[in-house]
Amino acid sequence: MISGYLSCTRGSLIGLLSGATLLLAINAQASDLPERQVSLMSSSCANCHGTDGQLAGAIPAIAGRPASVLEAQLLAFKQDLQPNTTVMNRIAKGYTDEELKSLANYFANVKRK
Amino acid sequence: MSNKNTSFSTSRRRLLKGLGMVGLLPAIPTIAASTSGHAGHVIVVGGGFGGATAAKYIKRGNPKIDVTLIEPNSTFYTCPFSNLVLAGERSLDSIGHNYDELKNVFGVKVIHAFAEDIDGVAHKVTLSTGEVLSYDRLLLSPGIDMRWNAIEGYDQAASEKAPHAWKAGNQTLLLRKQLEEMEDGGTFVMSVPADPFRCPPGPYERASLVAHYLKHHKPRSKILILDSKDSFSKQGLFTNAWKEIYGDMIEWVGVSGDGRVVRVDADKREVETEFGTLHSASALNIIPPQKAGFIADRAGVTNESGWVPVNPNTFESQQVADIYVVGDATIAAPMPKSGFAANTQGKVAAAAIVASLAGITAPDPYWANTCYSLVNPDYGISVAGVYKVEDNQIITVPGSGGLSAADASSEIRQAEAAYAVGWYEAITQDTWGTKY
Repeated sequence: MISGYLSCTRGSLIGLLSGATLLLAINAQASDLPERQVSLMSSSCANCHGTDGQLAGAIPAIAGRPASVLEAQLLAFKQDLQPNTTVMNRIAKGYTDEELKSLANYFANVKRK
Repeated sequence: MSNKNTSFSTSRRRLLKGLGMVGLLPAIPTIAASTSGHAGHVIVVGGGFGGATAAKYIKRGNPKIDVTLIEPNSTFYTCPFSNLVLAGERSLDSIGHNYDELKNVFGVKVIHAFAEDIDGVAHKVTLSTGEVLSYDRLLLSPGIDMRWNAIEGYDQAASEKAPHAWKAGNQTLLLRKQLEEMEDGGTFVMSVPADPFRCPPGPYERASLVAHYLKHHKPRSKILILDSKDSFSKQGLFTNAWKEIYGDMIEWVGVSGDGRVVRVDADKREVETEFGTLHSASALNIIPPQKAGFIADRAGVTNESGWVPVNPNTFESQQVADIYVVGDATIAAPMPKSGFAANTQGKVAAAAIVASLAGITAPDPYWANTCYSLVNPDYGISVAGVYKVEDNQIITVPGSGGLSAADASSEIRQAEAAYAVGWYEAITQDTWGTKY
């Protein structure tokens, strides 16, 4: 059963990733990418997740989710650790780990409507 | 400088909150007003995926910039999902979008007129109303024009009888009518151009959704695709799915197999291919060769190919300063001519324009693209890509993107069909503010 890009709950995601903790160690520090840069980079995400990641429909909203959860999810997509992924694995591979961290921080800081 | 930025940022917060937009406040760039005392005037020509997005994101980047959008129509009908209208699965209204958010939330001045001429030296745009407007920066999102008479007998008048339906709206309805009037056992003939053209997988999605309609309403009918090339977007995924879902209903003929249409008789609904074969159609869809929308020619930004070369970092014209061009009109390969790409190009150009008016360098560009195609309403496939600039060329980031898996389960195909709808709602919300 496929339920969405972010189909696993936080709990199951952490379970899924527990074997790869070293690879996927989450660093809570903000990234070094300039703010304008991250803002422009994040704007592509709006095309499926709505402006500022706010739209919840068939594709889930990403605004306001914890940065650690978003980053772990993005890294799981990038490393093909998320079963039944449709397109996010292909998208996540287009960004460096640092860029994915920046995106996670960016959307975590958006106040969910 | 820092004081100015701080106060600007505070007033922006107040403005956004006053408008009920809970913004992404920490990440909004703070740009000081230009030295001329105002932040500048940007004219955007074309209110499709590229232009409407650019107008919105210029205002998000710096609300003090005056933005005027020139768009003839008060409702914009999207090509994405128009194949569902053609198949009778959606209403035309459901793919129409308006400019209320741009006007009421972002303060964009919207003028419903044609831009008829552009003087890039004098920085002036002449409208069909006779009005002449001055700009500091101009952004063109002109879309495509058909190359009338590139195929003998196929001009604008012929397109009323053999619709292209490659701009959505009345053309979509004309072709829908032919499908509805078609007898069971008839043939739907589609002529597809060589690259480059708008929406590379679009013709094949159209064939799929027409087949879906025919299968359920006129099951003895056939679809003949006459193609001016020998391979096409998502070919393996489409042809496997066609066989699986539609049996032998869809026949595709590439250019080597005499697929190139050279003459159209729209009255008789007949086409002739390169080596002299005649094909009769019950319903006839001619998707002709294309070029950048005519206003790009008037602005002097097209080259001999008929398309627009741009600086990849900013999407500013390579030929005329202070004119930015986005969307299908541009030469942006490996990015496809898609609404998704036009939207992300609009954002890159918007950021570059905001920076340019503030006298600072543009941020490094990022683009992404996902093109969903529906083989039927429950069977979706996609191609994706992430793009950046390297050595002054746009490249696909190595390892990113690609096609849906060839061996994906029916659950995955169903999920992609649902995400196609999710994508449509998200991008039209992002571009026009359409609410769902």
